[in-house]
Amino acid sequence: MSMPPAAGAYTCPYCRIASDGQEATCPHCGAPVNVRIRVSDSGWVEQPPIRDMARIRFSRSTCQISGTYVPVADMGLHDTDWVYFSHHSLLHTHPNVNLGNLPMKGGWKRMRAGLPLIMMRAQGPGHIAFSADTPGETIAVPLRPGQAVDVVEHRFLVATGNVNYDWQRASIWFTTGSGDDTEWHYPLGQTIDRFVATGSNGLLLLHAPGNTFVRDLTPGQRILVQPGGLIWKDPSVSMFLHFEYPHGAYWFSSARYQAKSTWLTLEGPGRVAVQSVFERPELVGSITRSSGATTHYW
Amino acid sequence: MDRIECQWCKAQNEPGRTNCTTCGAPLDTKDLVTDSGWAEAPRLRDMTQFRFSNSICQIEGEIVPVAELALAQGDSVFFEHHVMLWKEPGVPMSALNTGGGMKRMLGGMPHVLSIAHGPGRVAFSRDAAGEVVVLPLHPSMELDVREHAFLAGTHSLTYSFVRIKGLANVLHGGGGMYMDRFVTQREPGLLLLHGNGNVFQKTLRQGEKILVEPGGFLYKDSTVTMNAVQQNVKTGVMKHGMYLAEMAGPGRVGIQSMYVHHGTE
Repeated sequence: MSMPPAAGAYTCPYCRIASDGQEATCPHCGAPVNVRIRVSDSGWVEQPPIRDMARIRFSRSTCQISGTYVPVADMGLHDTDWVYFSHHSLLHTHPNVNLGNLPMKGGWKRMRAGLPLIMMRAQGPGHIAFSADTPGETIAVPLRPGQAVDVVEHRFLVATGNVNYDWQRASIWFTTGSGDDTEWHYPLGQTIDRFVATGSNGLLLLHAPGNTFVRDLTPGQRILVQPGGLIWKDPSVSMFLHFEYPHGAYWFSSARYQAKSTWLTLEGPGRVAVQSVFERPELVGSITRSSGATTHYW
Repeated sequence: MDRIECQWCKAQNEPGRTNCTTCGAPLDTKDLVTDSGWAEAPRLRDMTQFRFSNSICQIEGEIVPVAELALAQGDSVFFEHHVMLWKEPGVPMSALNTGGGMKRMLGGMPHVLSIAHGPGRVAFSRDAAGEVVVLPLHPSMELDVREHAFLAGTHSLTYSFVRIKGLANVLHGGGGMYMDRFVTQREPGLLLLHGNGNVFQKTLRQGEKILVEPGGFLYKDSTVTMNAVQQNVKTGVMKHGMYLAEMAGPGRVGIQSMYVHHGTE
């Protein structure tokens, strides 16, 4: 997915977009330039938090990231640019900024899935700022025309107007119980967001609790992650469930009934990003049905 | 002799100091102001010390900072009892009756504030990741603070509370029914707040306005007016008109970056 860099140019190891490398931070995603890349033995790269007060340019506007615990994305919108967002993430705005609605399709399904039914849009000129409600990192994902990423629900902060937003079923589920007692579980949520840049370069900002780690998966390479830890992935990365059943000392403590581990398998090629804070999966009863999954008894 | 002016509280400091003697802000930091004019509250270095009256305050930790006070004889601080992290056994305590019992009960605010008297050590913290904001108050200053955000105030401050006027402001303002008001009379005082996430401050000119998410409001000078203003946008199928807090100058406005969106159900 990397773009060939121009001769003598600096290619950001995080967003893979070339720039002249003369600034302290990448102008496309805000990652520090010339950072000493720290790769764990297992291949995960810790994505450095965007430096305080770093500026990201998009179209004719700027985005400045300020703060470190719960960073604020402060956008200076040119009068030809607009962004969209969920109203929960708006922190402050200049009165001149024109606020409006951006209706979404699939209202009933979105309501059932706990997603916002209506996005807001803000048209420049003026300053407007966004923040999330958990300590963590703001992640900038610059998108080239036609490039897409899949984002887990509720990680989205704000995107530029030329980034097309769509959503689809995550198709990651399992059931426990039977009959009237059947419970449906969606470890990733019922839906997953897809963002595609159209026409020109776009900018997508996400917020992830805790720290963020990214890695490239080679074709066919698999990695197991906590379902609640996934932030985003390239669409080329496929995913399915994996259940592990540790052996219990007694039949009623058997993992088959209580202590199973539920993992999400990610299979390359492509990039994946995970966060260090995630919701612990609940212990549930015996699984009766599921989306495509592998199992392992030990 | 040259003096170093603190960019946060404007106090004059002796040359060679690395942090302000009045509020603890780093003095050698560059002035961090966003393009839109918001200044970051100074991130106090771990173990930063500064003085007030004859006492010493030390800020410890960085994720959920603790304000540790070494109170001198004759000095005291008041606070909501649940923010006290620890104290030395010998620190005398007393109560500060806030008045307005029924009103405060309706507003979900404590009836009685606790007072810790010197000599001795006492420490305070809140229960969320964020920053301790140090606000020195000079005589005749009045500061309004959202409820449950203040950590401790020194004895020279006068504490009261003001009702948020207007039903729309109460219902949609995100700040509850009351705001804490802190006033200094004759001698300077020190107010410690806890802001969730990061804290930013902007000084509004006369008549200048800014729209703020109500849950993000942290403090303001009493000269700044605050009104919940309905926006002509939908936030759901049956929900119309989200509310933002319109702050109008002159004066300072402080916001926090982590908040619970008031309209979230």
